Amino acid sequence: MGKINDILSPFTAWKHLVNQPVTIKKPLTRQASDRYRGFHKNDIEACIGCGTCEEICQNAAIDMVPVDGIGTKNGDSGLRPRIDYGRCCWCALCVDICTTNSLTMSNEYTWVDNDPEVFRFVPGAENKPWDQKEQGWKKPGSGYELYEPERVNMEELPPEERDHSFIEIVKGYSHEQALLEADRCVGCGICVATCPAHMGIPQYIQAIRNNDLEEGLRILYETNPLPEICGRICTHKCEEVCSIGHHGDPISIRWLKRYIADQIPENEYKKILETENLVKNDHKVAIIGAGPSGLSAAYYLALMGYSCTIFEKLSEPGGMMRFGIPEYRLPYDQLDKDIDYIRSLGVEIRCNTAVGKDITLEELHEQFDAVYTGTGLHDGRSTRIPGTDHKKVYQAADLLRDITLGKEVPVEKRIVVIGGGNVAMDITRSMARLQKQKYGEVGIIATSLESEHEMPADREEVVEAREENAQVIPGWGPVEIEINEGKLTGLHVVKCTAVFDADRRFNPQFDETIKDFFPGDMVIESIGQGMNLSYITGKTREEMKMDHRGRIEVNRDFQTSIPWFFAGGDIIQGPDVIHGIANGHKAATGIDRFIRQWAVGS
Amino acid sequence: MEFQIDQVIGNLNELFGGKDHHRQRKGLDFITIPKEQAVAAITYLSNPEGFKHLVLLTAVDWLEQGQFQLTYLLNNPDNKQDLGIRVLIPRDQAVMDSIHDLWGQAATYQRELREMFGIHFPGSPRVDQPFILEGWDGPPPYRRDFDTKKYAEETYFPRPGRSSNDPTEYMKHQLYPDE
Repeated sequence: MGKINDILSPFTAWKHLVNQPVTIKKPLTRQASDRYRGFHKNDIEACIGCGTCEEICQNAAIDMVPVDGIGTKNGDSGLRPRIDYGRCCWCALCVDICTTNSLTMSNEYTWVDNDPEVFRFVPGAENKPWDQKEQGWKKPGSGYELYEPERVNMEELPPEERDHSFIEIVKGYSHEQALLEADRCVGCGICVATCPAHMGIPQYIQAIRNNDLEEGLRILYETNPLPEICGRICTHKCEEVCSIGHHGDPISIRWLKRYIADQIPENEYKKILETENLVKNDHKVAIIGAGPSGLSAAYYLALMGYSCTIFEKLSEPGGMMRFGIPEYRLPYDQLDKDIDYIRSLGVEIRCNTAVGKDITLEELHEQFDAVYTGTGLHDGRSTRIPGTDHKKVYQAADLLRDITLGKEVPVEKRIVVIGGGNVAMDITRSMARLQKQKYGEVGIIATSLESEHEMPADREEVVEAREENAQVIPGWGPVEIEINEGKLTGLHVVKCTAVFDADRRFNPQFDETIKDFFPGDMVIESIGQGMNLSYITGKTREEMKMDHRGRIEVNRDFQTSIPWFFAGGDIIQGPDVIHGIANGHKAATGIDRFIRQWAVGS
Repeated sequence: MEFQIDQVIGNLNELFGGKDHHRQRKGLDFITIPKEQAVAAITYLSNPEGFKHLVLLTAVDWLEQGQFQLTYLLNNPDNKQDLGIRVLIPRDQAVMDSIHDLWGQAATYQRELREMFGIHFPGSPRVDQPFILEGWDGPPPYRRDFDTKKYAEETYFPRPGRSSNDPTEYMKHQLYPDE
């Protein structure tokens, strides 16, 4: 029986002779599934070259390379990923981590070629047939991110607890919060170029992750000797270019910096930063102004062994950080922590000593090997509209200074502030607090030329001012301060339709037919500050080159046309703290170079 | 006697040192059994308790705790009941008794766990033969301390002509080379 079956069974296959073949004819038309992970696509306009794809690739299949037509700029390295398909295992981790969502995968997987070199290319920059294909793998998003897109919330005093006092609003991160926030950072370093001081941001965030805050402090001080201050009030341009910010909240770089500095008591700084035994040299440098740039220059000069003396006009050091920024943003004890550490390195700060009055610039030149000036912008500018000469019209910078000095400042029931920058918000919120203390209610209007989204003030400043019941009304140009029988009654404004012209130059346009009136008993102008260089006199003044905008001309080392005289900070660049710090640092290097050349030469 | 999952759990607790019972949903329970009693408990479940089917056997690497967790998912088809048996074994002595004599297919799972996690099942058929990683000479790749990148760099040579740029350094070079 079995034998016959053995003979006949092969013939049963013959019944398939008339069936359709199960193989697929060329050309192969079988589609991969919609979410198949095939060759990459990259939207190279959206890509910022952060290199996170290269970093995560477990097969080292990705290189970051320059691409024709893509330049390096703020927030974009100009590099783009090139993928080696000899190593790619199609896992799609690069797609899943992509911070801009520019990198995706098509579902195309068949490609035959005799040249192995073609299997290494820059997706998006070299045209491929699948570039326009919709199907393929995309970052799933919504809960499946490889990093947390939302930032750890910073606890702040609620408006009703803060609007009548100058207690610090922002509470700072706890250990757990800082770890979670640091964990969101992909460490790409796109932010470093944007930071004026080029701080080692990914490195100090890494130090937080490693819970090695001493290393974190060392990294901070490499480029910034005022971390408690910058950790609170830096304009944090770095956060604006943060790669995570493209599809999520940028990393709280500023608060993380503050976290490191907050955790370490000042008496441990010298040991951690290895500055217990600084070797002094014989050279002396004079610094005019104890603001951020002067302090920064003094710090880095002191590290190099120079004896530094800072001449400060006011009663205490800090400059605008103390006399401009209100205490609720930067408490004085934190300011003093940074300054005291710099002092502990032997930097002498002579307060109540105005250069040009108590000592002349020429005397400094005679007594010191080099002079650095960072006197900043302290003289409030006026709108010069009719009525500004009234005694109830004030300058924001003057009032902020008087508040810090503890002087009695005039507080009226209704106040109008002209200006939309951070100083305007500072004076608005400070006066609102004083009104609350004096009258139990707030009656202050801040108005700016710029529209809501053009206002130069930090967004949170505007939001918080409103939370404290100050009115911020942007988009109006001041015309006249109304004075009725000697009494100030308010500010007439007209609609501002544009602040800048097509070339981004300041050239405000108004619609005179749309008018408004803001009633008030006093007006505070806060449209910017100018510099006061009256201490630079005589031969120095004559020989010093100025640029067409009336600023002192400096070279890369922040050296003026007078070799022994260096200048930086707000009078040169900015205005902000971090530019001042960066200028001071560079000037310190320049002064060192100058003195060494000069010492050798003489 | 009618099947009662609570009764089964009670017996596991009482007779086999079961603990941490957790009901994920109706028809799916989990319980942790000490390593020494685990095979006895599974044998008891397969007969007389009617868990005739081994759905899967898998492992989790609790690196920080120094333990592997084996999960035996059993199914009782007559009563539509799944039961996961969790067994914790020390990571540095990753050995477990085989259950291939209860279910033949367990040998395949055990071979996979041997290859991917480095968990030994002495006596299990063909357990030391490669499962999917032919010619593998590295450490077990599903262990969480397996460094994929390091392995790739050491094992596969880089193609000639490759070069990369660090974005931070490249931006410094392009935007502020003098600072």
